[in-house]
Amino acid sequence: MNLTLKIWRQDNAKSKGRFQTYKVTEISPETSFLEMLDILNEGLVDKVEHPVCFDNDCREGICGMCGLYINGRPHGCDDGVTTCQLHMRKFKDGDVITIEPWRARPFPIIRDLVVDRSAFDKIIQEGGYVSVTTGGVPDGNAIPIPKKQADQAMDSASCIGCGACVASCKNASAMLFVGAKVSQLALLPQGKPEAALRVQAMVAKMDALGFGNCTNTYACEAECPKEIKRSNIARMNREFLCAKTCSEE
Amino acid sequence: MSTLNSKIPQGPLSEKWTRYKAEQKLVNPANKRKLDVIVVGTGLAGASAAASLGALGFNVKIFCISDSPRRAHSIAAQGGVNAAKNYQNDGDSVGRLFYDTIKGGDYRAREANVHRLAEVANSIIDQCVAQGVPFARDYGGLLDNRSFGGAQVSRTFYAKGQTGQQLLLGAYSALSKEIKAGTVKMYERREMVELVMKDDRARGIITRNLSTGELERHSAHAVVIATGGYGNVYFLSTNAMNCNGSAAVQCYRKGAFFANPCYVQIHPTCIPVHGDKQSKLTLMSESLRNDGRIWVPKNIDDSVAIREGRMKPTDIKEEDRDYYLERRYPAFGNLVPRDIASRAAKERCDAGYGVGTGQAVYLDFKTAIERLGAEKVEARYGNLFQMYEKIVDENPYETPMMIYPAVHYTMGGLWVDYELQTTIPGLFAAGEANFSDHGANRLGASALMQGLADGYFVLPYTVQNYLSDQIHTPRLSVDSPEFMEAEKSVKERMEKILSIKGTKTVDTLQRDLGHIMWEKVGMGRQREGLLEAIPLLAKLKNEFWSNVRVTGDLCSMNPELEKALRLADHIELAELMARDGLQREESCGGHFRLEHQTEEGEAKRDDENFMFVGAWEYKGEMAEPALHKEVLNYEFIHVQQRNYK
Amino acid sequence: MKLVQFASITKKMALAAVGLFLLVFLPVHMGINLCILREDGGEWYRNACHFMGTNYIVKIFEMVLMATILLHIGVAIVLTIENWMARPVRYKVVSKSKTHFMSRYMIWTGGIIGCFLILHFINFYFVKLDIVEGKYTAEIEEVDSFFQQKAKKMQSGELGEKEQAVLVAQYQALSQLPEGKLDKSGKSLVNLSKEEVKKYCGEDFEAEPDFYTMCKEFFKNKYYSLIYLLCFVALAFHLMHAINSLAQTFGLNHSKYNKVIENFAIGFAIIVPLGFALIPIAILFLGF
Repeated sequence: MNLTLKIWRQDNAKSKGRFQTYKVTEISPETSFLEMLDILNEGLVDKVEHPVCFDNDCREGICGMCGLYINGRPHGCDDGVTTCQLHMRKFKDGDVITIEPWRARPFPIIRDLVVDRSAFDKIIQEGGYVSVTTGGVPDGNAIPIPKKQADQAMDSASCIGCGACVASCKNASAMLFVGAKVSQLALLPQGKPEAALRVQAMVAKMDALGFGNCTNTYACEAECPKEIKRSNIARMNREFLCAKTCSEE
Repeated sequence: MSTLNSKIPQGPLSEKWTRYKAEQKLVNPANKRKLDVIVVGTGLAGASAAASLGALGFNVKIFCISDSPRRAHSIAAQGGVNAAKNYQNDGDSVGRLFYDTIKGGDYRAREANVHRLAEVANSIIDQCVAQGVPFARDYGGLLDNRSFGGAQVSRTFYAKGQTGQQLLLGAYSALSKEIKAGTVKMYERREMVELVMKDDRARGIITRNLSTGELERHSAHAVVIATGGYGNVYFLSTNAMNCNGSAAVQCYRKGAFFANPCYVQIHPTCIPVHGDKQSKLTLMSESLRNDGRIWVPKNIDDSVAIREGRMKPTDIKEEDRDYYLERRYPAFGNLVPRDIASRAAKERCDAGYGVGTGQAVYLDFKTAIERLGAEKVEARYGNLFQMYEKIVDENPYETPMMIYPAVHYTMGGLWVDYELQTTIPGLFAAGEANFSDHGANRLGASALMQGLADGYFVLPYTVQNYLSDQIHTPRLSVDSPEFMEAEKSVKERMEKILSIKGTKTVDTLQRDLGHIMWEKVGMGRQREGLLEAIPLLAKLKNEFWSNVRVTGDLCSMNPELEKALRLADHIELAELMARDGLQREESCGGHFRLEHQTEEGEAKRDDENFMFVGAWEYKGEMAEPALHKEVLNYEFIHVQQRNYK
Repeated sequence: MKLVQFASITKKMALAAVGLFLLVFLPVHMGINLCILREDGGEWYRNACHFMGTNYIVKIFEMVLMATILLHIGVAIVLTIENWMARPVRYKVVSKSKTHFMSRYMIWTGGIIGCFLILHFINFYFVKLDIVEGKYTAEIEEVDSFFQQKAKKMQSGELGEKEQAVLVAQYQALSQLPEGKLDKSGKSLVNLSKEEVKKYCGEDFEAEPDFYTMCKEFFKNKYYSLIYLLCFVALAFHLMHAINSLAQTFGLNHSKYNKVIENFAIGFAIIVPLGFALIPIAILFLGF
């Protein structure tokens, strides 16, 4: 396949970026999207040009490091995949592909397509944990957890923190990310003692970092590579309402 | 030749760790605040160690190569984590887990370490449950288990097919809690580029800020290396793109011994290679072997027909299929340890029975679907099937999956004693970065166990023991000559790489390295091949230092430079691997020498001459490294030929 | 970064809560409107308007409603500006992500409804507030008692000459009432201009707006009708997401009830605006 790529290039956080057009040729449909960019980059190095910087690591869809906004969709045109799992067989010969970085105020660009997602870590640091220290915990089977509930918690916990929810949301809202973590811990008995504190602290941090407000468009749910459901957001809203109105925290 | 002191506590095996804990020295809380610990790496071992040390009250700095600790490649472990809880009442015990791990490691691991691992494994499960890790549960609400290769009991705890992810997120959450509390300081997008020593002790590191290119100096009283393995030496592996053995090599160059570099685990169930531009291989969880059956056609003509696209796997009748693992190992069948399953697949493919590109075998769920129903199979492996379909574009419910072995895990690593301390005082290594617990082969679901055991339950004790006599050591200024010197040498190294301006890209050279390693130091090794590898690697090293092309500059984000630095270290490591493979004139676990096999093609150990850990000492750029031997004394286990028949 | 320092979820819930109130008001308004279509010469409708215009509880509700509308608009604007601020650099390629039907355009459908409200107020509501002149109605009985009072005063000689002349003129006018100024039942004067109110009911008689007549006149204008119909479509779109969104915001998301909520939202969002739309359609197309 021969393709035309329009890629956002930006030297550093402060400089002004621009789109640059590249051509790649003879790409096999079995190639993954990131391997296609590898090929482009090898060509650029051959021409003594700066390769395009993009985040990537595990290349099997679990680390959440990669994330490109491809032709108007985070992680591209396939559903339920990360960018690294997107394959070129989803494109046609001669396609023009526009590749943009995640765009959101809390995700400043570091270089080219690389953005700084440490805002997510900051939200987790506000309460995305159970406050236990190492050792001194009860036996794993001490508290039975209904299977359904454990499974639901697992579904919420499968978030990979890639940021596609924020990237796809027209408001750059992080509600699905925060909702998934709040839900996971709210569903488990281990998370209950801190539930009221947690939801308030995490939401406050999310707001302070400059993420937008949720307007329930559910683009996040549609684009989440792990198909995390919007019911997580609903559960967080419920938790938040309870925390504000019923808890002492 | 210095003798290696593994510092194993006295006493019966099951009391060693208890005794160590009782006798270790402690640091009082006021002094803990004055002591700094650097942890490099944020995977299971690094994150859990930093969180635990931080919670104890030490000043911890943790360094993460990615943008967040949650990216560490521990996240990709799918299958599960072992523990001898015996919840299933199937006869499991600490002793049996210990025995299975030693046996799985082909009797090349240190007894005391492995027993400690088996002892603390149960605490890992408890700890993770308390952190909110959503392990799979049965209908009664209790923890569920599944079985894994190399064991006859169900002792593997799992969270869907994402156990590594969930455990890592658990450790990450514990780390986040400590970061919030201020006991741990996080440095993300930093790569360690040099170890800083003073008075022969590890006292700090130089890092490169990957976002800005800046070099930074960090001092501490102890340094923990938890940077994972070096599987990426092979270029194509199941490791993530950023995984590298660079930090370990830096320590090696500074005097830490590197143990058993030739022990490399080839994972039997990976998605086969499709083309030369492929960047990495994807692993399919070993748990698939619980219900999947591995086969190739019985008749070579059928294999040829399939490869040429004239036949489909579903066309092949049951009696024309060769379920070679079940045939050769009736007792363990498809659940034989990884090294055996991998070699068997390679043997079949080399004999011409391979399918796909010729480098693949089938993993078939037909029987499982008939027995359990598609729904139950989906519940167990749905996400793996989906992953396979996304990559290969074939539906594994209808047509068998194709798999082939790929480099997955490195049992070798920095040599550590019982305290996980390397030969450099104050320098510790944990998780895959050390060599300690898996011998010559790691069993499935043991990597997560070891990483977390090291981080949560071993290092907090042993690092404290070390630091107890460091309380009078003042903080080393980062402007001290030791730091300035280290930074200068690193900078020169980088400038040199940038100034070469040759013709070959880093990727090309990396592919060349991978090719040499896979061919000569791969799954089946031979004396001649290993002997050929060493000059080839020297040539490659020369090519690198004279003809590599790295664009960009020092002081900005520059992935090409990052890759080049790692490659330089990997070439050095590759040479060490070849040397180690050459000296080890036997077959054991992940190290299979074609010269040393039984008549049936099984690994033939030489316990008489090779029951030792091979630890290599760096002797300088031009000199050959020196081999030190830590003899393994099996006091408690009766050593025998590994037999899974 | 934030315009209003409440938590994002608090703001969202405030928007949803006032939205819920507005949602309840809509069927009430629609119910009254549909009385127009009864062939009773507007009796029911005028009675309903009379009740809504004079009952004190309704008046309090009216104030609450106005405040609610303003709050809904205010919060929506604040949220929207904050949301725009959360992405200072926009994407080049327009988003192709799947979203809930019309959910992306809430601020725009809301904006259309806002503009509609202004128009609607000018057309009808301001008449009630006496800001805009409309048509008026007066019950004969009231006009009569008003007239009798004045007549009594005249008899007792309390009125001046000028006022006497006015009263006589009013009497004459009433006796020569032109066609169409009396309703079907003959109980009310209808379709009066301000001038005519003075003429037939007296200088300081307080006549009520004659919404029935105004309505029928108004929707005969096809441009106005068309504008109203378009606005009802916008309302339908707005409601379709609003009800769904409201449930989600208050955490009412459950696999067992989601379908019910979704269907209710569709039903409500079609039936209510359709109810409103029936009036211009009936008047314009069916010659009602």
